[in-house]
Amino acid sequence: MARVLVVDDAAFMRMMLKSILQKGGHEVVGEAENGAVAVEKYAMLKPDLVTMDITMPVMEGIEAVRQIRANHADARIIMCSAMGQQGMIIQAIQAGAKDFIVKPFQEDRVIESLNKLLHAEGKPVA
Amino acid sequence: MSINAPAIDRSTDNEPSDELLQDILSAMRQIVPLPLSVAPPQGEPEWQEEWGVLIGITGDIYGRIVLLGEGEAFGKLGESMFGMRLEGEMLQSFVGELANMIAGQAATLFYGRGRRIDITPPTVMSGKMQIYGLTNAAKAALVFEGAGELCLYISKDSEGKV
Repeated sequence: MARVLVVDDAAFMRMMLKSILQKGGHEVVGEAENGAVAVEKYAMLKPDLVTMDITMPVMEGIEAVRQIRANHADARIIMCSAMGQQGMIIQAIQAGAKDFIVKPFQEDRVIESLNKLLHAEGKPVA
Repeated sequence: MSINAPAIDRSTDNEPSDELLQDILSAMRQIVPLPLSVAPPQGEPEWQEEWGVLIGITGDIYGRIVLLGEGEAFGKLGESMFGMRLEGEMLQSFVGELANMIAGQAATLFYGRGRRIDITPPTVMSGKMQIYGLTNAAKAALVFEGAGELCLYISKDSEGKV
């Protein structure tokens, strides 16, 4: 089981992700509605993994990834965004994201990405 | 469908990019699992009856995408996509997220044409109101089988710097 921080400006999408992650045996330890809150909550909660939207008010997701990774080089972050063009994926990976899921996502795709990442980095999965 | 079809009303010279319009319709068909037909706009223009959402576009095109519709229609679209009926705060959030997914997917398709746009977070509006500033927008009535109708406006304010 992993402790996950879910970052998305849409309450609906946070609810969907929370439901998928909980069904997959993981625990959602926090939620953030923008990148700035995500940076604060990451430092406070130290989650095993983060799901991160890109288009958000206050601070967008790629900048949040940069700031989290600047202070926590081992942070594991999966982008979950509607913006799936190659340039956006490259920017996210260069910022430090480990995977990129395009919305609307399938339940299996989310769990597979999360488990693969945890497994690859030696974290026991559910 | 072709963006040159008469179902889309583009009555001014200041048309949005035909390619972007086509990509937005393609994105809707990819994201919403209900048959979609595009009809001529009906009723009073620029009137929001219940729900509306606006997303700004920057990049190769500067403009706005606006979707208007009734809660019943948005709720049924949500049900078709996620298997649950949405109400209250979750319906409001879904309206914004639906527009975000459509604009995001359209941006991805647009990128495939060698063009670039970025999108702003959605602004969701509720309640009956008249919306000004869409006079020059392309507009279309989107009829989703079994869900109802949404009205789409795409305005191009200016060309961006490529």
